[in-house]
Amino acid sequence: MPETDTRPPGDPVIEARALSKRFSAAVLAVDDLSFVVERGQVCGMLGPNGAGKTTTLRMLVGLVRPTGGDASLLGDRVRAGLPSLARVGTLIEGAAFVPQLRGLTNLRLWWESGGAHWEDAAVDDALAVAGLGDAVHRKVKTYSHGMKQRLGIARALLGRPEALVLDEPTTGLDPQEIREVRRLLSRLAEQGATILLSSHLLSEVEQTCTHLVVMDRGRLVAAGPTADLMGNADASVYLEVDDRDAAERVLASIAGVGQVQREVGGLTVDVHGLTRPELVAALVHGGVGVQTITARRRLEDAFLGLVGEEHAR
Amino acid sequence: MIALLRSEWAKTIRRPRTYVALGFVMLIPAIVALALWANPPDPGDGDRFFYTATQTGLLFPAAMLRIMSRLVLVVVLALFAGDAIAGEASTGNLRYMLLRPLGRGRLLAAKLIIAAVLAVGASVLLTATATVAGGLAFGFQPIEFEIFFVDQSVGNLIGHIGMATAYVAWTLATVVAFGFMISTMTDSPAAAAGAAVGLGVTSQILNEIESLGSIRDYLPTRYLDAWEGLFWSNRIPDDMYSGLVLPIPWVLGFVAVAWWWFRRKDVLA
Repeated sequence: MPETDTRPPGDPVIEARALSKRFSAAVLAVDDLSFVVERGQVCGMLGPNGAGKTTTLRMLVGLVRPTGGDASLLGDRVRAGLPSLARVGTLIEGAAFVPQLRGLTNLRLWWESGGAHWEDAAVDDALAVAGLGDAVHRKVKTYSHGMKQRLGIARALLGRPEALVLDEPTTGLDPQEIREVRRLLSRLAEQGATILLSSHLLSEVEQTCTHLVVMDRGRLVAAGPTADLMGNADASVYLEVDDRDAAERVLASIAGVGQVQREVGGLTVDVHGLTRPELVAALVHGGVGVQTITARRRLEDAFLGLVGEEHAR
Repeated sequence: MIALLRSEWAKTIRRPRTYVALGFVMLIPAIVALALWANPPDPGDGDRFFYTATQTGLLFPAAMLRIMSRLVLVVVLALFAGDAIAGEASTGNLRYMLLRPLGRGRLLAAKLIIAAVLAVGASVLLTATATVAGGLAFGFQPIEFEIFFVDQSVGNLIGHIGMATAYVAWTLATVVAFGFMISTMTDSPAAAAGAAVGLGVTSQILNEIESLGSIRDYLPTRYLDAWEGLFWSNRIPDDMYSGLVLPIPWVLGFVAVAWWWFRRKDVLA
């Protein structure tokens, strides 16, 4: 079992309570989803495309009305036009601007539309992050996708937000830019910002996030500190053997082997308190030749949608 | 609200489609005035309409208003209305506007005010340009309609042009409100504008069918031309009063639906 988080419970900044969204009789995008992001956490929302990540984020900031449950942001129940939105920086499904206006004009008009004064915006900091240089004086329609994305991140930072909700913030960025965004997120987290970011890249959230929320087909698959979810305490392994039938018979007799599942070309085996050399030794002892053994973490399974398939079976 | 209106206005006025559309309503009267000035119409050809229109530059705007209010102005106003919400949705910027701490009702109100200001602006620019172009081409003089025994002084003519402009803009408010309503429901500004043009054109076609009887009295464009009586009777025609009342239920209805819809809308664009 994963270790329990021994730190004192933090202040919930983003909270989903039994959140559901049904778009039509056939489309249930988010299904009874509950999770909490506490102050100072960098939480990664992970899941394959179509898992309901974007719909969830849209509900968290009041763009989409839940058909069930509710959400709260900085302690307030989410609804359209919530005053707390001023304290949240958001990037949802790519940055979008008025294409005919210059980058800086876009930021300014957006900022002022809420009744705020431009002098109060963290313009210099935000623009330093965007790193667009003189391009902020160019019309947005001349921007590349990466430039728009960076301007979008700058816009999210204008209000020195306490919380950031970022939907796949590194999509369309080059490796250099991705590294910069990752550094930026770490820096903001050190300064005390609470961050919820979605991604379909396990490698991305693994490096950046302290906590994870894993979704598949609209449902919560796993949630908790990254270290716990990524740990090998409760791992499964993938085996390629010379005789799968024999291997299954042998595995059934080994203590510490859980569920065994056939896959294309091999077997996935849940192990509890059994090391890989021990497992291989036991199989070889039983007369089974082992060609390959690799770790397969639960998270990767979840991420690949295999958990969902299991449920469906 | 003032801040929102200011930033919305700044955005709108810098869009090419705004000034292209406004330029269009100014260009047409200028071209027509030039064409008529270069080729003066002859009353003997049966071309009474344009002949009368060129008797004074102060009657020319009335002629342009009559021609352009049928379709060109409908299209331009539909464009402004259809762009209101769908224009933001089509670029994806709508979701970011809604992430500011302002209620959806306020954003909707600001967008409606901008659309209304543009609609009135387009109507005023149309007749103002026509007045200037017509005056330059045909002079600023009074006119006498002999058949109706009516004298129109320069002051009368200018006053009537102003009233007619305001009247036409208000009559087309139904088209604007309908385009605005559709604009909250689609992510395509062209679709919303097209729907509004469709309403204006359909209403005019149905209005031609006399066998429809009293049903016609509820068509949004039923009294679109009622202002013409101002110029040959020197008093406000009864149809104009009907025309002033008719848009009220239509506009309230369409705006109410827009409000209801937009407050509940799932913003997915």
